Amino acid sequence: MRYLPLVLSAPVLLAGAVDAKVLCIGNGGEPETLDPHRYNLRLEETILNDLFLGLTTFDAHGNIVPGAAERWSVSDDGLVWTFELREDGKWSDGQPVTAGDFVYAFRRLLDPATAASLAHFMYPVRNAAAVNAGELPPTALGVRAEAPRTLVVELEQPFPFFTERLIYPTGYPVPAHTVEVLGADWVKPGRMVSNGAFVLEDWQPHAHVTLRRNAHFHDADSVTLDGVRYLPTADSYAAFNRYRAGEIDAIGDFPSSEMDWVRKNLADHLRLTPLVSIMYLVFNVTQPPFDDARVREALGIAIDRELLTGRVMRSDEVPSVSLVPPMVPGYRSAVAAAGTRDARLERARELLGDAGYGPDKPLNVTLRYISGDESKRVQVAIAAMWKDIGVATTLHHTELKSHFADLRQGNFEVAQAGWFGENNPEHYLNLLVSDTGDVNYGRFASAAFDALMDRAHAEADLARRIGLLREAETVGLAEHPVTPLYAVTIRALVDPRIGGWHANPRNVHGARYLTWNER
Amino acid sequence: MTTYLARRLAASLVTLWAVVTVVFFLLRVAPGGPFDGERRLTPEVEANLRAAYHLDEPLVAQYARYLGMLLRGDLGPSFRSKDFTVNELIAGGLPVSLTVGGLALALAAGLGIAAGTGAALARDGPRDRWLTFAATAGLALPPIVVAPLLVLVFAVTLGWLPAGGFTTPAHAVLPAVALALPYLAAFTRLTRGSVAETLTAPHVRTALAKGLPTRRIVARHLLPPALIPVVSFLGPAAAALLAGSMVIEEVFSLPGLGRYFVQGALNRDYTLVMGTVVVYATLILVFNLAVDLLYSRLDPRIRLGRTGRGG
Repeated sequence: MRYLPLVLSAPVLLAGAVDAKVLCIGNGGEPETLDPHRYNLRLEETILNDLFLGLTTFDAHGNIVPGAAERWSVSDDGLVWTFELREDGKWSDGQPVTAGDFVYAFRRLLDPATAASLAHFMYPVRNAAAVNAGELPPTALGVRAEAPRTLVVELEQPFPFFTERLIYPTGYPVPAHTVEVLGADWVKPGRMVSNGAFVLEDWQPHAHVTLRRNAHFHDADSVTLDGVRYLPTADSYAAFNRYRAGEIDAIGDFPSSEMDWVRKNLADHLRLTPLVSIMYLVFNVTQPPFDDARVREALGIAIDRELLTGRVMRSDEVPSVSLVPPMVPGYRSAVAAAGTRDARLERARELLGDAGYGPDKPLNVTLRYISGDESKRVQVAIAAMWKDIGVATTLHHTELKSHFADLRQGNFEVAQAGWFGENNPEHYLNLLVSDTGDVNYGRFASAAFDALMDRAHAEADLARRIGLLREAETVGLAEHPVTPLYAVTIRALVDPRIGGWHANPRNVHGARYLTWNER
Repeated sequence: MTTYLARRLAASLVTLWAVVTVVFFLLRVAPGGPFDGERRLTPEVEANLRAAYHLDEPLVAQYARYLGMLLRGDLGPSFRSKDFTVNELIAGGLPVSLTVGGLALALAAGLGIAAGTGAALARDGPRDRWLTFAATAGLALPPIVVAPLLVLVFAVTLGWLPAGGFTTPAHAVLPAVALALPYLAAFTRLTRGSVAETLTAPHVRTALAKGLPTRRIVARHLLPPALIPVVSFLGPAAAALLAGSMVIEEVFSLPGLGRYFVQGALNRDYTLVMGTVVVYATLILVFNLAVDLLYSRLDPRIRLGRTGRGG
C-alpha cells in the first residue's frame, strides 16, 4: 500500500479497502501531554512510541533494537557511549534527524525551565542531576554531537541497562527547528513534527488522539496501517461494551468480573500477558508492630500467593517471592519459598509468639489498599489468611492518588503497592535503597543491602553486576521489608483480524508492526 | 424591571466570587497534589513543576493571580492536560454537554408535562395509575443503572445505536434518554400534582362550567398557573442536565464537561476544577434568573422587583 495523501485526509474510513485501515485502540485514559519531555503516564508512552523514534526502540516482540541509532559502542569503563545515527532518519517534514537534535533534546529535558516530570530517567547522564537542579547550565550536560550523525553520551556511573532507558520518551529527540519557533504550541495537531512511524493528525480531549502514517519514516514501506486512533477508555465497562459493539478493535483491559463470559464467548480475542511488574505489600518499619522483622516475616509467610493468583485473581498472574518480576531476563532470584502452607502457618504463629503476640494479645493491623473491586477481593483474601495466624486486620481503602500520597509520607502500617516499568532487576531493588526517597514507602534502611547495591551500581560488567544485585536482594529480603506477591496480568481483547500483536512482558505493541487482515 | 435585573446580576456576581473563593481554598486543603502520578518525581523535578505553575508562591498571591486571570476571562493552563488551556478544554466539552443535556431537557420537560397533564385529566383512572407507576419507577432507577442497560440492549445486542463516543447525532440519543429518565419522571409527577390541584381552582371550574373546549381550557386557563412549580424545577433541572453528568459521560465515553469536574478533582487539577466550577455556578445563576423572569409571564400576580422576591 503506497502512501495516498488524498485518501488519508478523507474523513471516512476506506470501506472495502483490504489492506488500509485506521485501527481503533482503547488506551485506558486521556493523555496529559504528547510532549515527550513532559510526559508522565504509561498510556502516553504508547502514543509517543508511535510518534517518535528514540536511539533504541522495540521490535514487534518488545525486544530492544536499534532505532534512530544504527549502532553504538561503549568504552571499556562503561562510561562513554557513542551512537551512530541512521543516514535515512528524517523528521516528518523531511528534515534530517541529526545528533544535534538529540543534544538539543537532552538539554531541553534536563533544563529546569522545561519542568519535565520524568527528567530523572536521564540522571545516569553526566551532570544531568546538577543541570536539572539548576546548579549547572544545560550546556554542561555530558552529551555532544561529534559529527552530524555521531552522538556521544557520557555517564556518571557505568549503566549497562542504558539502551533500555533510552526507549522511554524522555530519550526521544525533538525537532529543534519547530520547538524553537512555535514554543509550547509545537505539540498541537497539525504542527507537531515527529520522527516515528506516525504523525499526530488530531487530538480532541477525552474523545480521541488520531495518528496518521508518516511518509518520511525510514521504514514507511513496512507500515501497513493508514493510521491509528487511540480512545481514552478510562472506564473499563464502557470500553468493554464498545468493544463488544464493534466500535473498538482492541482494548488493554476489561472488568475482571467478565472473565468467565469472555473465556466462553470471545476466547480467540482474549490475550493474557503477564506484565513485567511486581505487586507487593510494604511494611512501615519505622513504627511498631512492623519495626519487628519477626512480625513482618510472619505476615509474609502466612500469605498463599498461589491461592491469590489462582483462585482470587484468576487471570494467569505469576506469583513471585522475589521483588524482581519473575520474567526479568538473566536474573534468577536466590530468595526461596518457605515450605508447605501448614509448615509456614506454624512458623508464622511461632514468630508472632516470639514477638509477644498470641491468643491473649492478638495482633491488630490496618491494611491499606487502592479502591477497586479486584483490589478489594485480594485484600479480603489476605486478611482471611492472616486470620489463620490470629491476626485481626482492618481494611482501609482510598483512591489511588491519596493512597500513594499517604504511602510516600509514611502514613500507613502495611499497604498494597506496585512497581512496573523496566525489564531489569535494579529497577525494582532500588526501591529498598535507604536514600532512594519517598518511594521507599516503608523507610527500610539496611547498611548491608545499601553497600551491595552501591557496589552493583559501580560495576560495569553485566554478569558481575547481576551477581551483586542477587546477593543484595537475598540480604535485603531476609529482613522482610516487603512481601512480594505477584506480577500483574494485562487482560487485553484484540480483534482476531489484527495481525502482528505479539504478547510480550512490557506489553508494547507499536502500531508500525500491526496489520489488519479483513476476512 | 431594569433595576431589578441590575440588582440580580450584581448579587449573582457576588455569589460567583464567594463560590470561587471557597472552592479555591478548599481544593488546596485536599491531600495530594496535581503532580502525584503513577511515577515518582524527584524533589528537584517537583520544585521545577511547582515553579512553572506558580505553586511555589504564597497561597494569597496565587489567589490574587487567579482572580486577575478570571477577570480577563482566562481560566489558566490545565495542570494535567498540559497541552491545553482550561478555556480550550471547556470550549471542547461544553458543546457536547449542552447538546446531550439540551436534548435530555427537551425530552424530560416536554414528555413530562404532557404525561403529567394527561394523568391529571384522567385522575384515578387506569391511564393515571399507569403513568404514576411509570414515573415512580423512573425516579427509582438512577442513570447509573439505566445507562449500562440501554447500552447492552440498544448498542451491544441490537446494534441500533452506538455504545459510546460522540461523532454523529446518533451518539447523543442513548445518553440523552438515560439522562432524561429521572427528570422525565420528576416532571411528570410534579405536573400531575399541580394540574390536579389547579383543576379545582375557581377560574378553571368557571371555564369548565361555561363549556369551553377542553383544549382551550388546558392551554389558556389550566397550564399557565399549574406550570409555576414545574418552572421553578426547570431552573435547577436545566443547570444539572446541561452541565453534563459524570456518570453518563463515563458510561457513554462522552467528551463532555461533567468528567472534567470529577477527574479534575481526583487529579487535583486545580485550574480545571475552578474552571468547571465557574461554568457550573454561572449556569445555575443564569437559569435561576431566567426562571424568576418566567414566573411573571405565567402569573400576572407576581411582580418582579416590587415585592423584593428573588433578590
